[in-house]
Amino acid sequence: MKQMIWILWPSFVVGGIAETIFFTLFDPQDLQIFGVQHEMSRVAIYSIGFFLFWLMAAGSSAFTCFIQRRADAPYRCPLPACDRPLGCPKREEGGT
Amino acid sequence: MAEPAPRQGSAKIIPIKEDVLYEAQKKIYARSVSGIFATWRWIFVWFTQILFYGLCWVEWNGRQAVLFDLVERKFYILGLVFWPQDVFYLAVLLIISALALFLFTAVAGRLFCGYACPQTVYTEIFMWVEKLFEGDRAARMKLDAAPMSARKLGLKSAKHLAWIVIGLWTGFTFVGYFTPIRTLMHEVVSWQLGPWQIFWILFYGFATWGNAGFMREQVCKYMCPYARFQGVMFDPDTLIVTYDTERGEPRGSRSKKSDHKAAGKGDCVDCSICVQVCPVGIDIREGLQYECIGCSACIDACDQVMDKMSYPRGLIRYSTEHALKEHWGAREIVRHIARPRTLLYGSVLSAIVIAAAWALAVRVPLKVDVIRDRAALAREVEGGRIENLFRLQVMNMAEEPRRFALSVTGMDALQIASERIVEVPAATTQSVSVRVRAEPDAGKRGSNRIYFEVRALNHDDVNVREKASFLLP
Repeated sequence: MKQMIWILWPSFVVGGIAETIFFTLFDPQDLQIFGVQHEMSRVAIYSIGFFLFWLMAAGSSAFTCFIQRRADAPYRCPLPACDRPLGCPKREEGGT
Repeated sequence: MAEPAPRQGSAKIIPIKEDVLYEAQKKIYARSVSGIFATWRWIFVWFTQILFYGLCWVEWNGRQAVLFDLVERKFYILGLVFWPQDVFYLAVLLIISALALFLFTAVAGRLFCGYACPQTVYTEIFMWVEKLFEGDRAARMKLDAAPMSARKLGLKSAKHLAWIVIGLWTGFTFVGYFTPIRTLMHEVVSWQLGPWQIFWILFYGFATWGNAGFMREQVCKYMCPYARFQGVMFDPDTLIVTYDTERGEPRGSRSKKSDHKAAGKGDCVDCSICVQVCPVGIDIREGLQYECIGCSACIDACDQVMDKMSYPRGLIRYSTEHALKEHWGAREIVRHIARPRTLLYGSVLSAIVIAAAWALAVRVPLKVDVIRDRAALAREVEGGRIENLFRLQVMNMAEEPRRFALSVTGMDALQIASERIVEVPAATTQSVSVRVRAEPDAGKRGSNRIYFEVRALNHDDVNVREKASFLLP
C-alpha cells in the first residue's frame, strides 16, 4: 500500500503538470498517430494523454522505488542490533 | 519544525487500530468546536464554496463568465479571453500565487491550510455532515466501537449517501468549469453525458469523497508538498498557534475554587480538550509540529476552558517564538511583521502584480502568424514582377467580429495582389493566403526582410507588425 502511494501520488502530480504543458503547446487536433489523422475528440485525447503521462511518471517512480533497495536488502535484518533476540550472533557485533 | 527524534532501540510493533492507508495510526475523532477562529473558518468555507459552486453559473456577454473551455482551447475569465498563446499569463498567475503563499506563511504561518485549502474546507463540510448523522466525538467513538446493528448501518449509510451526493455535485461543478455547465446540466438531465464527462465527474467525486471522508489529515501529513517545505518560510517572528508553556506548566487538574498558584500549578488544567479538537491529532502543548495546519481549533477550545475557570484567555494563542521568549505584546508582534524576509517577498510580489496588470492592460487582442508557402518560393508574374506566397493566421481575440486591413512594407513598390481586407468572426482564427509582389530589382538576391501590418478597422490601436522574408531569384 505504502509503495503504491509512493508510486501513484507523485506521478499523478507530475502527470498533471506534463499534461498542462504538453497540451498548451500542442492542439490534439494537430496530432497524428503514426502519420494518420485520428478521429477522436479533444476531450478524449486530453484524457488519454493524462493517463499516458501519469503512467510514464509512475513508471519512473516505480523504477526509483525498485533501485532504492540495496541489492542485499532481502537478506538484511530489519531490526537495529540492540533489539535483536538474545542469542542472535549479530546482536553484539552490530553487523547487518 | 521539530521532527520527533527517532527513538533508537524502541522499534516496537504498533497495534493497528484501523485499516492502514499509509501508516499505522489511531483514527482521529475530532471534537467539534466553536469560537472566533471556528467562525472565521466557516466564513471561509461559505465564501470559497459559494464561489466554487456558484461562479460557473454566472453569465457574461451571453456565455459562461468563467470557463476553461478545453474543447475550444480558450479560457474565458469575465471579460478576458485567453488563448494557448497566452500561457505566459498562466505562468505569471502561478508565480503570483506561490509568492503570495510565501508571504502569508512568513507572516502568519499556515493560514491557507487552516482556512482556505480545499482539503480543509471539504473536510470541514464532511465532518459537519458526520456530526449531523453520528453525533459528536463521544457518540461517534461509541458508535464505531459498537457491533453492527440496524441503527449503525442506517446512520453509516445515510452519512455516506450525503457524502456521495456532495462528492458528485462537486465533481459535476468541477467538470462544469471545463465544459459549459448549462449544456452539461442539460446532458445530465437528459441522460446524454459523454463517456469522458461521466468518467471525470465520477473521478473527481470519488476523490472528494475519499479525501474529505477518509484520508483527511493524512493528506496534509503525507501527501501535501507544501506541508513539507513550509518550515523554510518560518522564522522566529512568524505568527504560529502556540501554547504558552511558561504560563501553563506545571499542568494539572484542580478545583475551580482552589488557588492553583499557591499549589505551584500553572494555568493548564490538563483537560485535553485541545487534543480532542485537533483535526490532525497532535498535542499543541508539545510545541510546534510539522503536522499542525494552523486551524486554531485548540485556541477556541482552550479559551472556552479558560473562561469557565475565570482565567485570562490566550493560554494557547497566535504568537511568535520571539514574542513568547521576550514577553512581547500585540504591538511588538505587529512591529516585527516588517522584516527583511517579508519585505522582500512583498516587494517582489507587488512588482510582479503591477507588471502583470500592466501587460494585461496593454494586451492587443490580435495575433498574427506569417508562414511562407513552402511549395512555391518565388515566381515571375506579368510585367516581370516577382510574387511570393504567404499564409497569414489572423487570430481575432476580441469577442466581436472584426475587419482587418493588411498592408506590407520593407521594400520599394511592395504590394499585396490579393484581398487586403480580412473579416474574422469573434474569438476565432482565420487563415488567409496573401500574394505579395515586388520589382525584381527592389532588393538583393535571396531573402529580404519585409513586414506585414494588420490593423483592425475602426480600432486603430489594435494592430500588429509581423516580420517575414521575401525571396528574389
